[in-house]
Amino acid sequence: MNSPHPYAFLALFAAVAVAFPLALLGVARLWARYFSPPKPSATKNDVYECGVAPTGDSWIQFKAHYYLYATLFLIFDVEVLFLLPIAVAFTELPVGALFAVLIFILLLAEGLVWAWHRGHLEWK
Amino acid sequence: MKPNYTELFAALSPEAALIVGALLVVVLDLTLGRKKIAEARWHAAVRIALLAVGLAGCFTFASGRPGAEFGGAFMLDALAQATRYSVLVLAALSLALLPGTARMRHPAEFVAVVLFATAGFSVMATAQNLLIAFLALELASLSLYVLAGFDKTRPESAEAALKYFLFGGVSAAFLLFGFSLLYGLTGSIELNVIARELGAQAASPLLVVALVMVLVAFGFKAAAVPFHLWAPDVYQGAPAPAAALIASASKVAGFTFFARLLWSGTGASSGQAPAWMLTLAILAGASLLLGNVAALAQRNLRRLLAYSAIAHAGIMLLGVMTGTRFGPGALLYYTFTYGLATVGTFGVIAIIERAGRCQDLDDLAGLYRRSPLLAGCLLMFVLSLAGIPPLAGFFGKFLLFSQALRLTGLTGPAGWLAIAAIALSAVALYYYLIVLKRAFVTPAVAGTEARIAVPLKPALALLLAAALLLALGVFPSSALRLVT
Repeated sequence: MNSPHPYAFLALFAAVAVAFPLALLGVARLWARYFSPPKPSATKNDVYECGVAPTGDSWIQFKAHYYLYATLFLIFDVEVLFLLPIAVAFTELPVGALFAVLIFILLLAEGLVWAWHRGHLEWK
Repeated sequence: MKPNYTELFAALSPEAALIVGALLVVVLDLTLGRKKIAEARWHAAVRIALLAVGLAGCFTFASGRPGAEFGGAFMLDALAQATRYSVLVLAALSLALLPGTARMRHPAEFVAVVLFATAGFSVMATAQNLLIAFLALELASLSLYVLAGFDKTRPESAEAALKYFLFGGVSAAFLLFGFSLLYGLTGSIELNVIARELGAQAASPLLVVALVMVLVAFGFKAAAVPFHLWAPDVYQGAPAPAAALIASASKVAGFTFFARLLWSGTGASSGQAPAWMLTLAILAGASLLLGNVAALAQRNLRRLLAYSAIAHAGIMLLGVMTGTRFGPGALLYYTFTYGLATVGTFGVIAIIERAGRCQDLDDLAGLYRRSPLLAGCLLMFVLSLAGIPPLAGFFGKFLLFSQALRLTGLTGPAGWLAIAAIALSAVALYYYLIVLKRAFVTPAVAGTEARIAVPLKPALALLLAAALLLALGVFPSSALRLVT
């Protein structure tokens, strides 16, 4: 018997990957049809807020300003991420590496200075 | 092997100059520029940026020791150096268009992002390592998305940025997937090791998948059919100087990068025609046909330029095919001269927009009376795009087509494509001449006859671009010697 094509398992895998969820969804659909007929009511259609009775509309405007803080936090995040390996190897590095690191820090620090100057750190 | 950081610093000093220049632009605008009016801030920012670009050019000249740098992560060969020069010239021209024409807020930020993008292009030109190449590509792309959406007063600009970003993000995902497969096949991210490993093994379905993924990303970057859908909207919506950069320097760097990847990375499999040749031929043919035919139907000048860019991308893809045997000279010459002509055309648009609307072809009416200088420059740029001697566009086309015909004669796909491209050049001439007819023959619409004031720096940039197109067209060999 000749061995199957090396990529045959991919086809088998794809077939199973499609069939398995379809079968489960089909069973769930059948179950819902015969054992849990839909009976919508005001309480059932309410927004679920961890068990507390919801107040007001969920379609409100809220400030998306926080994403700027998240972005600025990345400055420190990335800085630590890259400075740690450099600090570990610091004694073996030549002057050129120091220049590269300084430019890198300047690049990140200036981003923060820029945001500060432009007033992005103030919660308005 | 112990990496030599001093050498690395010397090799990448042009990019360092650009980055430091960008930082200086922002710092000086934050400190000295706070009380100044926007016009003065634009002038100051552009002056510093031009200085940084000039310095980067000098450093490029000084970093001349050719060969692989930093354990093969960078390659400083003639192609890389010539691409760096081209990118710097195109970026400088796009920057010089800004003072006096741009009305956007935040001048320093715009200029700094242009410099970041230029640094990305410059690294793309030298990258010899998949990871570095991808980082450079992303630096350039992310900067370009920001530039496309910079004009917050116009919804079209936001639309352009969003479309560009979504298409670009998906294509970056394809590229990364292709790269990961290449790494899986060869166990290395360095182009010369990949070439050696791929040459040693037989073509596998996995290699085909990897190549297709890479070509999808390439098609997006080059705006080749069927990955061209972003181009018309971005060209239409982005601020004119940003569109100039997207259409010119980004093209040059992208073609150098992908050509290097295809030639040295995956082209060397056992001496025969590489596996990607036919796919590339199909992309090129489709781009030529759709670009030229769709441009005929455009009423909007910027969309017309976008479809002409798609058609030109087809010819450049032909250059990638011929470059396997004849070297990168013709391709780089073509992309650079195309970039010059597009930067110039967008510059003319930017200056006209300062005085009024410049979206439809009809807005060009009477340009000859409104500003003879702009009309004259537009004539040079559009004729170069159309490929009329003695401008550089003609020689670029001639060189590429003759190479394509020599590559396989009339039997291979390259020969057929060259014939098709020559035939479609006639089609292209028609819509280019329609642009010129509006500018030179059609009288101005009542109410828009006022003369257009041309600011000094943009005017100098336009004249320089036109002079370069003429000089490169008359003395092409001196430019080609730089590359070979």
